[in-house]
Amino acid sequence: MSPIRSLAGLGRPSLLGALVFSLFAIAAFIAASRTGRRDLSQAGKRALYATFGFTALATISLVTALLAHDFSLSYVTSYTSRSLSVPYTISSLWGGMEGSLLFWTTLLTGFSALAIAKAPARNSRLVGAAGAVLMGIAAFFLFMVAFPGNPFAEVAGDVPVDGNGLNPLLQSPGMVIHPPLLYTGFVGFSIPFAFAIGALFTKRLDDSWFTATRQWTLFAWTALSIGIVLGGAWAYTELGWGGYWAWDPVENASFMPWLTATAFLHSVVIQEKRRMLKVWNVTLIVLTYGLAVFGTFLTRSGLLSSIHTFSEGPIGKYFLPFLALLLVGGLGMVAYRLDALRSENRLDSLISRESAFIANNVLFVAAAFTVLWGTIYPIVAEVSSGIRLSVGPPFFNTIFAPIGLAIIGLTGIGPLISWRRMSKGAFWRMVRVPLGAGGLTVLALGLGGLSSPGALLSFALCAFTSTAIIGEFVRGSRVYRRRDSVGPLTALNRTIARNRRRYGGYIVHLGVLLIVIGFAGNAFKVERRADMAPGDTLDVGSYTLTYEGVRTATTSEKDIFEATLAVSRGDDGVGTMRPQRNLHLAQGQWQSEVAIRTNPIEDLYVVVTGFDTDRSAVIRTFVNPLTWWIWAGAAVMLAGMLVVMSGRAPVTVTAAKRAPAKREPAVAR
Amino acid sequence: MEQPTLPAPDKRRVKFLVGGGVIALALVGLIVFAMTRPNATSFYMTTTEIQAAGALQASADVRVNGDLVQDSVVEEGVTTTFDITDGSSRLTVSTDSTLPDAFYSDSDVIEIIAQGQYDGDTFTATQVFAKCPSKFKAQT
Repeated sequence: MSPIRSLAGLGRPSLLGALVFSLFAIAAFIAASRTGRRDLSQAGKRALYATFGFTALATISLVTALLAHDFSLSYVTSYTSRSLSVPYTISSLWGGMEGSLLFWTTLLTGFSALAIAKAPARNSRLVGAAGAVLMGIAAFFLFMVAFPGNPFAEVAGDVPVDGNGLNPLLQSPGMVIHPPLLYTGFVGFSIPFAFAIGALFTKRLDDSWFTATRQWTLFAWTALSIGIVLGGAWAYTELGWGGYWAWDPVENASFMPWLTATAFLHSVVIQEKRRMLKVWNVTLIVLTYGLAVFGTFLTRSGLLSSIHTFSEGPIGKYFLPFLALLLVGGLGMVAYRLDALRSENRLDSLISRESAFIANNVLFVAAAFTVLWGTIYPIVAEVSSGIRLSVGPPFFNTIFAPIGLAIIGLTGIGPLISWRRMSKGAFWRMVRVPLGAGGLTVLALGLGGLSSPGALLSFALCAFTSTAIIGEFVRGSRVYRRRDSVGPLTALNRTIARNRRRYGGYIVHLGVLLIVIGFAGNAFKVERRADMAPGDTLDVGSYTLTYEGVRTATTSEKDIFEATLAVSRGDDGVGTMRPQRNLHLAQGQWQSEVAIRTNPIEDLYVVVTGFDTDRSAVIRTFVNPLTWWIWAGAAVMLAGMLVVMSGRAPVTVTAAKRAPAKREPAVAR
Repeated sequence: MEQPTLPAPDKRRVKFLVGGGVIALALVGLIVFAMTRPNATSFYMTTTEIQAAGALQASADVRVNGDLVQDSVVEEGVTTTFDITDGSSRLTVSTDSTLPDAFYSDSDVIEIIAQGQYDGDTFTATQVFAKCPSKFKAQT
């Protein structure tokens, strides 16, 4: 018997309590934002903390029910079983629709409590309005988990002895952290969204709404980025088709808000530095949040058929009006305040960092729009003409090749151009070295026998942009080397430490380039498939696989069938690979366990897709060049984001002029 | 730094409108181009619809969906043949591709989506998706 007692009885009452407090918080915050009264704002905050407390209590009671195998709850029966290990039992909190909505709500109320508690008190009207928006969203989700998506619903009839168990596909370390990271990202954007709407309501349309929430935006973006990459890693190691991204609607659902959020991260820099693009920025955050909610809805509604739809529920009819309210309300407020959102500056020249940032934004938003188009086109076509069709990877790949490459190029050009304007001669002096690096790369790879123009262009642009970025580090640290007479490494350290946002951002860009190198490697993928009897060999790339036989074993959870393959390269033995194909007993479902040998040059990826009674096995194998760099690039991105987030809020160009005590020496241009 | 003379505001507005128009047109062009790439979009049919349509022009892939007919699966080397049904008609699907794990589930209903070509008799799939809805659907 489990030592933990199920506290499921506390669940629903806690949710109802949280719902009541959230409604009270909305009223108090609205009153506070209208009057600016401290006591009302305090009352709203306390109600917000209580909302979070009760929501957290509900989550804790669901977790105890899961751990105690309380099969009187339909949710526990549907997603767990007695044989499931403790980490996966806890992760089934987000394995199904009701639990994941509760998890969403807990994150939302927790983040709201933190953000509102830490918001500067002098902006009490803005904070009040933002608090009201956050609590409005919380009230919607609390309603969802208290009524149509109640995770505490009891099973009809007798309490089962055991549950159905968690889908074996979800029993993977990646799946334990991938959904919470995505949700952290989605929910994290609630904070900048609420402050943006709050700013529109209270007409405080200076920078305070996004400077107050800057860390939240960065945090949410980082969580979403890492969550997306981990989702790819999960698909790669679990699904056994040798790829990591399939343009599935659910993948797209996480990618769209990432694209608009990336645009937003860049365009707020222009607002900070040059007081431009104010309308654009509030619009972007509204769109980002709308897409994040749309993503949650797509994943959980069953509106689009997807191999990822693990659970479906009757929540669509509530979500769509909510989403419409967010978008129409948000964009309506932007339109209503259009006059107050005028730019204080204009674009001076096409050769300027502003225009590079704008071009970046256009590309990211265009990319988001095309993903949205491809994702919802099947619905549009069916509703408008009754034709049922699906949009596949060729559509998305055709779109993303040019847009992605243009973004990579701009990533290199942007930092080389100065703000406001730059002479053509100065521009040329900045780009000639990176251009040379790109040219040399084409030459070297071309002579080396690489003939695919797409791959050549990708690698050339990566060389161009990485040279440009490294040049930034060199120029930056040169200033410190001269001024402080220190070694290159110390100077580099100081460069990064004194301007973490900028150089942290460059580190993120370098990580993105590594990921692009990994994507480009995909063009050289090799696949082989064969039915092999023991002793048979199969050549793939430069490897030879020899099938040695099958080993079987049984655990309480599954019957294991493991193929043993000796791997050699020329005459050299490389090792043994043991892919498995297991029958999970609780679900009666087969699940392949992939075997991967990875190194920076290429992955050897082996799946066994079937065994026969004569001990032969159907083996599918891939050589995936450069895939290692995707995960390495993600790690570099994360490191860069940590540098960015450790930085202080910057001084704007105009403010810097007023305050002569500038901390960093100007970088030589 | 040299100071380029700024164009008059009206001229600038025209410039930006033209620029925006060019970008929008380029985007629409790109989408149209991408939509017409081979297999960018494929029709989705039931087994009855595809049999009524007969052999298809072998230019583009089609997707057909239906439930797996239990005990119809025959495996021969890397080739698998099985039947799917929409309740009123039955279609034989043959494929050399890897079948997803859900295909082998012991669930009563296994939904199949096969992508490939139809010759009027057998559907030759290049890709097969499977899911078993009864197992993981929320009980509501």
